[in-house]
Parts: sequence; C-alpha cells; structure tokens
Amino acid sequence: MSTMTDSLWRPTRLPSLEEAAVWIVLAALLLLAGLTSDAFFKLNYLTNLVRQAAPVGITAVGVTFVMLLRGVDLSVGAIVSMSAVACALVMDGKPENLWLGILAASACGALIGLANGILIAHGKVSSFIMTLGMSIVVYGLVQMGTGGTARGIVSPGFRETLNSRIGGVLPVLVICLLVAVSFGVFLQSRTRFGRSAYLIGANPEAARLAGLPVNRVTVIAYIVSGLFAGLGGLALLARTGVSGTNPGAGMEFDVLAAVVLGGATFAGGRGSVGGTFAGVMVLFIALNLANVAGMPFAAQLIIKGLIIIAASAAHSWIGSRSGGRS
Amino acid sequence: MPLLQTHALTRRFPGVLALDQVDFAAESGEVHAVCGANGAGKSTLMNILSGTIRPSSGTISIAGRTVSFASPANALDAGVAIVYQEFSSIAELTVADNIYLGREFRGRFGMVDRRAASEAAADLLHRYGIALAPDTYVGTLSVADRQLVELARALSTDARILILDEPTAVLSLSEQEKLFVVIRTLREKGLLVLYISHRLEEIFAIADRVSVMRDGTLVATREKSTLSSAELVRLMTGREIAGNTVPASVRNDRRTTLTLDGLAEDGTRLELREGQILGLAGLVGAGRTSIAHRIAALRRRDGFSAMLGGIPLPDDPAKALAAGVVYMTEDRKRDGIFGPLAVTANASAASLDRFSLGGFLRLRHERTEAGDVLRGLRLVSASLETPIGSLSGGNQQKVLFARALLSRPKVLICDEPTRGVDVGAKEEIYAVLRRIATEGVAIILISSELNEILALSHHIAVVRHGRISAIMDNVGLDEHALLVAATGAGEYQAAQ
Repeated sequence: MSTMTDSLWRPTRLPSLEEAAVWIVLAALLLLAGLTSDAFFKLNYLTNLVRQAAPVGITAVGVTFVMLLRGVDLSVGAIVSMSAVACALVMDGKPENLWLGILAASACGALIGLANGILIAHGKVSSFIMTLGMSIVVYGLVQMGTGGTARGIVSPGFRETLNSRIGGVLPVLVICLLVAVSFGVFLQSRTRFGRSAYLIGANPEAARLAGLPVNRVTVIAYIVSGLFAGLGGLALLARTGVSGTNPGAGMEFDVLAAVVLGGATFAGGRGSVGGTFAGVMVLFIALNLANVAGMPFAAQLIIKGLIIIAASAAHSWIGSRSGGRS
Repeated sequence: MPLLQTHALTRRFPGVLALDQVDFAAESGEVHAVCGANGAGKSTLMNILSGTIRPSSGTISIAGRTVSFASPANALDAGVAIVYQEFSSIAELTVADNIYLGREFRGRFGMVDRRAASEAAADLLHRYGIALAPDTYVGTLSVADRQLVELARALSTDARILILDEPTAVLSLSEQEKLFVVIRTLREKGLLVLYISHRLEEIFAIADRVSVMRDGTLVATREKSTLSSAELVRLMTGREIAGNTVPASVRNDRRTTLTLDGLAEDGTRLELREGQILGLAGLVGAGRTSIAHRIAALRRRDGFSAMLGGIPLPDDPAKALAAGVVYMTEDRKRDGIFGPLAVTANASAASLDRFSLGGFLRLRHERTEAGDVLRGLRLVSASLETPIGSLSGGNQQKVLFARALLSRPKVLICDEPTRGVDVGAKEEIYAVLRRIATEGVAIILISSELNEILALSHHIAVVRHGRISAIMDNVGLDEHALLVAATGAGEYQAAQ
C-alpha cells in the first residue's frame, strides 16, 4: 500500500475473488459442457439455453435489489403466475389489447411489490414472512381470476414476435433478457437508488446516520422486484403460452438460487446484477447438463438444492477468508 | 497470606501493553476498590481474574495456590465471580430461576425442580441479607433489585472473590445505598469484594483499600484512611502536567452558529461560534454521546432546544444533517462504515444530493471531489475502489472525516474520533480537526482522553448525569482539574 500515490486514483482495479467466483464457475461449467457434448457450442443450442433462462433471469434482476437490502422476495413466483394470467385475460385474443395486456401484467407486479414494500418498510414485517404470505394471497387471487381453469388468449403476434429470431439467429427473448440485465446494471451502478440500496444493505444504521431515506429505498426495491417479476411473467407466457393457472409455481426458488449464486447474501450490501445473470446461467447450464446426462427430474431438483447450499457456503467461506467484514 | 495475589501479570494486545507486570494483592474480608482513568488497565486485570482473557505472562494465586484460568468456568470453580454492568438476567423468569440459570435443580426423571431452587434461593438471599422474594418475576423488579439478582447469582457459586464492575453506573443514590448494605454484609462474611469504579464519592464511601492503575501498571495500593481525594486524583492522572498547548483563540469576527438552551444545569445558554472547538469532558456513561445524539436529532431532544444560525434546528435527523449538523459516530463498525463498499461510496454517502442529478449519479464528479478530500486527509489505501472494511482503523476514520467534510458541515460533532486509532494517525486526526476549525466549522469534540480535549478545545464543557455541569475556558486547565470536575471530587471535598 502506498501513500497517496497515483495508484489511488487509478480508475479500475481487479475484481475480488468474491465478485469473480460465479464467473469462474460459469467458465468451468461451459468448458465441462463443451467437453461432454459436441452440440453444446452450436449457436442454436446456446441461444436456446439462454432463451429458456429468460423468465427466471428477468425476475432475478429485480430480486437482486431486494437481496442487496437484506431482504428476500418469495412472492415473485406468484407474481409471475398472476402477470401471465392477467396478461392473457386482458388481451383476450384481440390485437388491439396487446399493449394493454403488457401494461396490466407490469402493473400487477409493481402493485404487489408496492404492497410488499410498504408493509416491510413501514409495518416492520419481516420480508420473509411478508412475501411468503403475499405469495399465498396472490395465488388465491389468480385462482379467483381464472376460476380454476386455464383461461384467456394472448393477442395474435405476441408469442410469434417474442419467439422469433432476429436474422433467424438471435431469439427476441434473449434480447429481452439482455436488455433487462443491462437496465438492472444501470440501475445498480448509475442511479441514486442503486447506490442507496448498497449503502442501506451494507449498514442500515450507518445509512440512517448519513441521512439516507431507508424506507423509501426499501419500498422502491420491492416495486422493482415486483415489476421485473411481472416482466418475467410476460416472458414465461411468450415461451409456454397459456398453460394452467399457476405457471410460475416454485419459480421463486430458481430465482433465489440464481441470486445467491451470483454473490448476494442475506447479510445485504453484496452481490450485483451482473453476478445474478452469471448465476442464472450457471443454474441453467447445470440443469441442462443433468438433463443431457439423462438424470430424472427428481435428481435435477436435488442438484438445484445442492447448488444453493454450496454457493452460499462458498460465499461465506470466501467472505470470512478475505476478512474485513463486521 | 493474601487471598488473591498476582505476580508480574502482563497482557499484550497488538500494539498495546494493556497490563504491565502487575503485582496485585487483596485480602479476604475487605472491599478493595480498583480505580483509574479510562484505559488504565482495570478491565483487562478484571477480565484476566475472571477467566475471560488469558495473561501473556505472569501468574495468579488464590489462597497461596497458583491457578490458571482457561475460561470463566475455571475461574468460577476457583471461587472468582464477576458481575458486569450489563444485566444478563431474563425478565420472564423468577428470581430463583435466574439465580440458578444453567444450573437448574434436577428432580425425578431429570425434570427441573423449581421448588428446590426456590428454597435454595430463599436461603441464599437470607444469608446475604438481600431482601428479595425468590418467586418474583425479574421483569417486575427495579433496576437496583435486578442488580441484586445478578449479585445473588454470582454468590450462589460459592464465590470467595466477587468482582463488581461499575455496579452503580445505572443506580440512583438511594438504590446505591441498598447495594452498599449488601456489600458490607459480604465483607462481614469474609468475602473479598473487588470494586471497580471511577466515581470517587463511592470509593470513599465503601472501600477499605484502594488500588490505583494507570497506563497498565499498578501505581499504588493505599488504605482509604490515609488517602485524600486530591491525592487519589493525582495518582490517577499521574504525570506532572505538561505545558498545556492551548489552541489559537478564535477570531473575534466569527459568528455564532449553534445555540443550545436548557442543556446546562444552571440554565445558561451555550453558544458555539464558527471555528470554535468545544470539548465535552466526562466519564464513560456521563451522557456525552446522548447529548451529541440529541443535538443531531438522532434521538428525542426533550429538555433542551437547539438553534442553528438563529433558526430552530429540525428534529428530524435527515433534516438536521441537511441543515449542516453532522454527527461522526464513536463506533465505526456499528454505525459508521459500510464494510463491503468502496472508499468512494463510503465518503459520498451523506452527500448524494450533491453527487446526483435527477436520480442519476454523477460518478466523475463524485470521484474527483471525494478524491480531493481524501488526498487532503492523507488517506492510505490501495485505491478508491478498495472496500473500506479492509483499511486500518485510522484510515477508516479518515474516510468518515471525508464523509463529514463532503456534506459541508456547519457544526461537526466528533464522538471519540481517535478510538482504536494508532498513535501516528491520532496526530494526523488532530491536525485535521484544527484545520477544519480554521475553515470555519464549529466542532463539538467528545473524548475520554483528557489530554486530547485539553490539546484541541477552546472551551470545555463538563458533562455529568446527562447535563452540562460546568463550562470552562481552556486556559490554565490541566487533567487534574478536569478529572476533579468530571468525577465530582470537588463536591466530595466540599461536603467533608
């Protein structure tokens, strides 16, 4: 360490092991995948993999902000369901309702997020209990809306456009995911909201002393989480069509797994949207490899669970080794 | 043969010799006060005696047998029990339950036998003259009675040596007398009571002998009857007071920025001018931090009012901060630093208003300004992106100074700014404080180190029991005078 030399003003530095970990795992998995299967590095295969990951990936971007703030959002699976169902119902197969449907889906997500945020920030309800309860409420609402059967028809052109490939190569859904991730990265590193989320998550008491609007930022984070889950629901609707009344069931766990893989912790202040994206890819490639290896769905579930536990353990191990953490 | 004897007891912490070759002896059947200024080594000695920390070298013997404690449980087995300032009793349980917590009486089938516990507790309380009913719920007791429960718990281990660490810190005067009655009973029963305190009135009221510690060494052990309070203060401060480097006086054209009404005991108004440094001296627990918090609106300001530049200071913390009153915490780790985040983000945290436009961060602007301020503070760090958690205490403190400066304070409240900072960095921080003051910022400095207060402050306010009991110009003052004012030794002498 040198005193006030020019090195202090060097704009970049190498990422820490903590930040790089998920990318290293991703690279290793890609290598493994390439070795086990010739088909893997075919463009079609790869883009298809990313396309599959779009609903989870888009949703995970929003949840990252909640996790930065020491929170968790277990209601995103339910929001995805509600968004998909609401969108199909509003569109009702009419082309003129296309944008109305998209708007309805986004609004559903944002409103549920708002309710979560207000009760967590001002009502001091624990985020775990709040969003768990909210997910049950939302599933109930979805059942009421559908009457228990798959209903609603998307507008013509909705699925066709989102499932097409630009130039016959690049799927539109992949672009949607990349846009969502880029927007998330921007929100995280270029806006006051993103910075505040990191500060409050890292040390809420210090943030209060520094005059940061802790409650407002918390509410916004849950709105962002809900909104991205709404968009994730649209992506799922595009991919699978109107399938059942609860298409997002259990998705919150995939999302949580990806975000934790990406470096976020329940202690807050750590993680990033970029890391989350890498985490999503690790999760999907791992499951894909398991699938290729002919493992049954049940075994894949076990792998998913183990990934969450291993990632979390690895992060605390790296964190304790690098020290400097209260 | 003394009941308790230490030989050349030494304890090193990284960079500090907390205890240096201490030979301490105390007899059974006495109340032995151990006093000294903050950081003199009292707590280290008591922590070693109670098995919480291990000595670097030296030995302890009890009744002539050399003992070695690997844990507090070992110390308890050897008959040494400690009662801390903080209460550890559980409000939802009864007095008897609390006394035998973790050592419950077992009846048939391993069930907890509460009746046996209750009877044993009644017997114990009676034996030591403690007027408490064993089946009362602790939650319904007064603070003083809860303290007695703690005491009874220590006694239930058949302790021969009882350590009381600042036992009266939370007690009123009448409650204190209740405690003293029990302590005198313990003395009659032949226990050795080690009484840690820096309140002189109390020491003279309860102790038989007094040991004084300073800078990690045992300076003297005296019979109370041969000791005057002036002599005790001299032993505590020790060094003949060096020439006091009084800071340059404040220029006369400086305007008043902060006025505080209702904070001084005698009702006078406190005025702080631009560029002035006001030191708050007082013992730990005197309420200095509470005063700082109340000025900065971090807790309810009941009892006094604050005006900044003639306008009432808002009682919302964010608004008080925006108005220019900045509080720098005494506990960096707890509510100061954002550990995993970069130096820059830590420095700009309180001035995001200035470093953003319409919700978007002005990163280059932030980098330049934070960089300039940090350069001025001579920060040592690998880069501006380094997580603050990996810096040394002194450098973390510099970043917190940068945070305060970037928010353009009118009044800066520094609570223990050199705590946990090495000697070299201390000097740098003093220089920073003086420079900030000459730039026109009014500073309120809280420090337990009297020499720090004396070296930096223009005026010194003495805090006792949460109020300001005296304001003095820092002319011809020394540590002795401050300590007398802070401990109330002057009043004790007057009362004699």
